[in-house]
Amino acid sequence: MIATPVNIAASDAPDAGGEFETHQTSRFGEVQVLVDSIVEFPDGLIGVGGSRYALLRTDQASPFVWLQSLTEPGLALPVTNPHRFVNDFEVELSDEEGERLGFTEGGEPADVFVTVTATSVLADFTINTKAPILIRERRGYQVLNQAAGVAVKTPLFPA
Amino acid sequence: MLRITRRAGERVIVGGDVVIEVLEVRGAMVRLGIDAPRSVSIYREELWLEIKQENEAAASAPDQLPALPEGVPTLPEDLPTLKPE
Repeated sequence: MIATPVNIAASDAPDAGGEFETHQTSRFGEVQVLVDSIVEFPDGLIGVGGSRYALLRTDQASPFVWLQSLTEPGLALPVTNPHRFVNDFEVELSDEEGERLGFTEGGEPADVFVTVTATSVLADFTINTKAPILIRERRGYQVLNQAAGVAVKTPLFPA
Repeated sequence: MLRITRRAGERVIVGGDVVIEVLEVRGAMVRLGIDAPRSVSIYREELWLEIKQENEAAASAPDQLPALPEGVPTLPEDLPTLKPE
């Protein structure tokens, strides 16, 4: 399967025919990853590491894309845009973390993703709104969301 | 594990650029203050573990996610596909 790389921000859209890297992945086999869509994670993802990832879309109709590690072929997590599922979703960082990572009120906006914990049963899907992933200028960070009502397991399709 | 006894107001230096200060000791609770470089992330262990476990659970998703029912929202149009079809 050739997974199709997904742009991470409209402003990063390169000219047609950009440069691609070939990567081996456990889930998707060999994939062509647009260099401009590669995201550096200086701190990795919490507890699982990885310093370089790419967003791969395998199904145009799906709201889920894969955050595929380019350093660990076996590491890939489905992610989605939380705004599509949770009304009034907000990310609030502590002053310390916002300052440390350079995400401040009124600063440059970032793309927000949340990891999806998927099973074979759709009703059991959850998203992690407690630790969303912020991506800006091809750098990504998994942060601690201080907003009210967030949880590590937020039902994606509440009954 | 290195064990060090400290009183309130005393500090420990880790690696030359991380400073941990015992701010207050009250009963079974200890308040710590930590100064570290910007590149160092700091978490309460239980939260770090909870997120690590959730990341691992997410990473063990089936390769083929189940089909979504009609009407489920999809990613916005402003996430264009970059690779020419």
